[in-house]
This record gives sequence, structure tokens and C-alpha cells, in this order.
Amino acid sequence: MRDIFARRKSDDESTDRSDETRADGGVARAGREKPGVVGRTRRALDRRFGEDFVESAPFWFPAFLLMALFVYGAILWNLVISLTDYEGFGLAGPDYSNLDFEMYVRAFNDSNVINASINTFVLVIGFTLTTLVVGLLLALLVDRGIRFENTFRTIYLLPMSLSFVVTAQFWLWMYNYDNGVVNIVLGTIGLGPIDWLGNQSIVLWAVIFALTWQFSGYAMVVYLAGLRAIPDDNYEAAMVDGASTVKMYWRVIIPQLKGATISASVVLMVFALKAFDFLYALVSGYRPPAGTDILATLMVREAYQNTNWAYGSTIAIILFVMALLIIGPYLIYQFRRDNL
Amino acid sequence: MTRNKDSVSRRRFVQASAAAAAASVAGCNGLGLDDGGRKLNLMHAFTGGDGAIAAEALFDAFREEHSDIELDLEPIGGGGNQNLDTVVANRLSNNDPPSAFANWPGKNLVKYENALGDVDDVWADNDFGDSHVDEAVELHKQGGTYRATPMASHRLNNLFYNVEAVEEAGVDPTGIDGLDALIDALDAVATETDKTPMTQAMNGTWTVTQLWAAVMQGQEGHQAYMDFIEGNGDQNAVQSAFETMAEILENYIGDDASSVDLTASNSNIINGDAAFIHQGNWAAGAFRNADNFNYEEDWGAVAFPGTENMYCLHFNSWLFPAQNPTPELSKTWLEFVGKPKAQIAYGKNKGAIPTRTDVSMDEFGPYLQDVAEDFAEVDNRPPSLQHGLAVTSDRMSALNDAISNHFTGPYDSEAAAQGFIDAV
Repeated sequence: MRDIFARRKSDDESTDRSDETRADGGVARAGREKPGVVGRTRRALDRRFGEDFVESAPFWFPAFLLMALFVYGAILWNLVISLTDYEGFGLAGPDYSNLDFEMYVRAFNDSNVINASINTFVLVIGFTLTTLVVGLLLALLVDRGIRFENTFRTIYLLPMSLSFVVTAQFWLWMYNYDNGVVNIVLGTIGLGPIDWLGNQSIVLWAVIFALTWQFSGYAMVVYLAGLRAIPDDNYEAAMVDGASTVKMYWRVIIPQLKGATISASVVLMVFALKAFDFLYALVSGYRPPAGTDILATLMVREAYQNTNWAYGSTIAIILFVMALLIIGPYLIYQFRRDNL
Repeated sequence: MTRNKDSVSRRRFVQASAAAAAASVAGCNGLGLDDGGRKLNLMHAFTGGDGAIAAEALFDAFREEHSDIELDLEPIGGGGNQNLDTVVANRLSNNDPPSAFANWPGKNLVKYENALGDVDDVWADNDFGDSHVDEAVELHKQGGTYRATPMASHRLNNLFYNVEAVEEAGVDPTGIDGLDALIDALDAVATETDKTPMTQAMNGTWTVTQLWAAVMQGQEGHQAYMDFIEGNGDQNAVQSAFETMAEILENYIGDDASSVDLTASNSNIINGDAAFIHQGNWAAGAFRNADNFNYEEDWGAVAFPGTENMYCLHFNSWLFPAQNPTPELSKTWLEFVGKPKAQIAYGKNKGAIPTRTDVSMDEFGPYLQDVAEDFAEVDNRPPSLQHGLAVTSDRMSALNDAISNHFTGPYDSEAAAQGFIDAV
């Protein structure tokens, strides 16, 4: 950062100096002529958004336009629909003349929405934290210079390559009360059997566990990259100072993994918001097991089963705001570090 | 010179892209307006097992009769009818309806209000009103106008059983005449054999709602059920049905019910792991497709206890969208599915009976012949709760919310009953 400023400052100085020289030499410069309206606007834009803003437009503007229309435009349109009372198949479409927050009031008083919001929140936080912890532990183990390191890394990463549809079916069988492998394994140590998918108070955790199984490999890879970036000196210095292995990791190594943690957790949270696929595949329907209803499943049910388009849009906006609350701090963090 | 050349080529570029954009916009329009060259665009969810076979037989029969009409079929399977409903909903709300789509009639039509056209002439020209049961007439109307025609019917109030299992338990299913007798029979299976007395697919709520309707009809009677779906339900009757069901679900359905789906529960009967199952008679299709598993030798069916004099109705119908892209072809299709040829081709392969009362049942096999006999003879044909006929889709959704919140274990009969009363 400081380097850049220093360089820019010296550039400025040198330009100034050269200007002086040229002025002394009596050279007329094109830039000194009074620019027209177009030129002024262009220079104002360049000053505001950086060099060559206008000149580079052909390269980024079409993509920007498409994104604006199909992503942000669609979100905005969804917001407008959520303010209408649109439902059913009126041939006229939504009535935009009468916008109000009625649907939001209804949503905040709807116990299904509140339940689904809580479940979504628990899922996002629970899944992200456990996946980070498991991923970190795996990364530390793999990083200890074990034999067959590459093989283990692949084994841990492999579940992520499977689709939710496949893993949901796996876990449906594994969680079976009578002959699922989970209860059989627990049975050998005298626990259970537990009705994983039928008991409302544990089913969400069963889902979180299954998702953690699938994504901890990803967290491991991110952490492994972070660990590899830490110079060996750090380990050696800690050893020389007499730190135990646990203390070395806890005090010296893990604090340096902040960047990896943040980027992994953002990706994981986004995966958690996509848990719809998993729940859908688990029951092959829009209504997940009792106790795992999340905003995404509720939204689809309201929109497509009940054709309450406006209400479905409202739930979508609530979900969007939750996602923003998660991504927002990350964006601010990145902005402060000058990465944006 | 160079600058000049540059600007020309830039202008060319702009012209070319404008032309391309105009062409693509025109292309989109073209797609929307094109009649598709007399193609009949049909959307349905008959994609799995016997459904796919039945659909193929149905379309073949149509091609035989109308070789000049080209079919543009869009099978959309998965999640019961849910995926089909989603695609249809998108098409309808984009004002791009198919020619016709398969769905439930009855209160389910409310969801499609303003989006369905008028097929009064199809019913009048073919005397469908006379050839069908009375219930079909009302269930296919909305706002006094016909919106659909029926193709086949499944019965909802069935109790299927594995013959070997009930014999081992010393139970005679034909003698089970009420809910108390059913619970005694389940108890006998539990004590006399190591089999699951009743297999119930609890991984969705729909099987529970469907079972509740059967228990309500069997225990509280036809009138109490009809009062309930009309919104005048007696809370005590509703709760009492829930209490009976709680006794069954708590004690007799197998510990792994929550991870069992429809296919798995049917398999439990086929494998002899369970004695009884309540299900719509599409289950019979699964039994028929199993090897060495024959009607009356290996499996049997009776009306759900207490509902011997009822046929709980389900219809497979074809709905006619308004703003139809091919109104004449679509009406030809709706006429076709309401006639014996289509109803036989589809029904005998799907394990459903014709909705007409004048179709010869010779081709249908003994089980469906028995069903058709009951269909014609029973006193009452109440509409099904979970399959679109009795309540609108948002009420059905609310009923399933109540089941999901209060009746998937632990079973809170009072709260579930309150939820049901509030929902309709």
C-alpha cells in the first residue's frame, strides 16, 4: 500500500517537473486546450473511476449490462413483486399500482417463516463452524508429513465432487433406523438406535453432519494452502522457544490462517444456503423432514404449490437479506484490505 | 487516414451488433407466436415404471386414431406431481401454456383460476356427463364451466396385505370391519409374528394426511368427513380420528418409518416384511410388477376398515389451458382421453380404472375388475383429501404443515386436530 502511494507521488512529481521543462521550452500541449463537453465528461468519469474508464467500456460494459439485467435486475424485480399481492394465474400479471409491505407483515407473523428462518440460521452457522473445525483438523493432520499424503487429501476431498442428489440418497440409507450403517456402528458401542430423520430435535443436526461430511474436504484444501504459505521459520522458531506441538499450532500457526478461514467460511455459508438441493433429494419433494424446513424450501412451496407469488418473493427477499448479512462483513473486510 | 478507417469499422461493428440484436429479438418473437405446425404439446408426470408404460400405450392409441396430429410430449417426472406443477406454473404465468397438461381436477382447479379454458362443447358433444359417475361432473367444472376431462381413477381407501403375513398372524382381513378391529389385527401381527404390522412411508407428510382421511371416513363416517372438507368439521371427530391414528403410528408402523418412502413401503409388503399398508391403489401397480407376487395368492386388498361402502375418489385428468396454443387439437385430445379406447389403454397398464361406467373391464385383470365393481356399486364417493379433489392446494399445504409440526412423532392429536380445523 505505502509503496504504491510513494510511487504514485514520485510519478506526479516527475510529471510536474517535465511539464515545467516543456513549458519553459514553450511547447504547446494538446492537453492544455479547453476540452468539449464529451471530453470533460470523459475526464470526469476517468477521474472518478480510474484511468481509461470510457476507453475500456467495450470490454466490460456488455458483461456488466447482462449481469445488471439478469442478476441484479431480477433481484430488484423480485423485490417489487414481493410488494404486490400477486397470486394465482391472473392473466394480467402482478398489479404494480398498489405496493405495500403487507406480505412482509404476514411473513413476520407466520410461524412457518420464523421456524424456517431459525432453521436456516442454525444450518448456516452450525454447518460452517463444524466444517471449518473438521477441515482445519484434517489439514493439520495431513500437513504433518504423513505417508500417502496425496492419497488422503484426495480421499477427503472426494465427497465434494459428488452431487447433493447422490449424497442425500447415501445418507437417507445410512440414517435408516433399522439397517442404516450409522445406527449399526453406534450399536456396536452400545448406543442408539436413534431415529435420525424422524426426531424433530435432531434431524437438522443429522443434515448438518451429512453436509459437513461432504464439505470438510474443501475446508481442508483451503487450510492446507494456508498452512503451506507459512514459512518453515515460524515452526522452527516456535520449536526453539520450547513450544509444544499443540501450543505451536494454537499460538503461532492457526492465528496466521485468518485469511483462509474467512474465504472458506464465505464459500461454505453460500453452500449452506444451497442446502435446498440436499433436502429436496432426501425426500424427493418440496417438504423436507419435519424440523428441517428452511427458507429456500418454504419459498418454493409457497410459490409453486400455492401459487402465492408475492409471498414466495417476500421469503426470497428475507433469504437474500440473510445472505447479504453474511457476505456484507466479508466485502467490508476485503474493501478495507484494498482487495476490492 | 487510419483514424477514418477505424471509425468506419467501429460503425460497422455497431451496425452488425444492432442487426444481430434485432434478429435475436425477432427470433424470440417468432418462437412465441409460431403455432408449432399443428403439434399437440402435452405435459405429464407419467415417467416412472407402470406410469411410463401406461403413457406410452395411451399415446400409441392416440397416434393410431389421429395419425395426422404430431405429438410434442413433455414428460416431467419427480416429486410426485411437484416438478410438473412447477413447470406448468412457469409456463402459465409466462402466458406460454401447453396444449393440455395432466393434473387433478376438483378443488385443485382453484389454483388455476383464470388460466383454464372452456371445454363445455367436449362434454356436450360426447355425452361425457352421462357416461361418467355424477361426482366426475361437478369435479371437472369451475365457475359452472367444464375445464378438464377425466382419464382414469385410483381408489384411495384401500388396505393391502401380504397374504402369508396375515395368515401367520391368524388374521382374516375381510373380517376387519372397523378401526378397533384393525388395531386388534395389527396387534395380532405384532404379537404372533416378527413382521411389521403396518408399513407407512413417513418420509413425507402426504401419506399421513392421506391415512387421516381414511381413518376419518372409516371411524367417523362419510358425513363427518364431508363436513370437515366443507369447513364445518366437528373438532371432536377430527381429534378422535387423530387419536386412533396416533395409536397406530406409535405402536405398529416400524421403527424406520421416517426413512421409508412409497417405493420402500411397497417393497416391505412384497418382501413379506410387513403385513398391511394403507395406500392409493397405485400400490397395486407395484405389486403387479413384482415377480411371483400374485393377487389373492400373495397379496390382497380390502376397503379400508369402516369404508366398505365408499370409494374415495382420485382422478387423473387433463386440464385445458386458456389462451390455448392449439385449441382444436387440444379439444381432440381431451375428447380422446374421455373415451373408452384411451381409458383402457392407460388404465390397464397403470392399474387404474376407467372413469366411465360403460367400459368393458375384460382387459383389466381380476383386481381392477373388483375395484370397478365397487366403483359402480358403493353409496358414497368422497373426494380425496391429499390428491387435489377435496381442498384447494394452499389448504392442502396448511394441512400438511399441521402434520409436519404436530404429527410426525411425537404425536400431538389435539394440536394436529386444531391445525386441521384451522386449515380448512
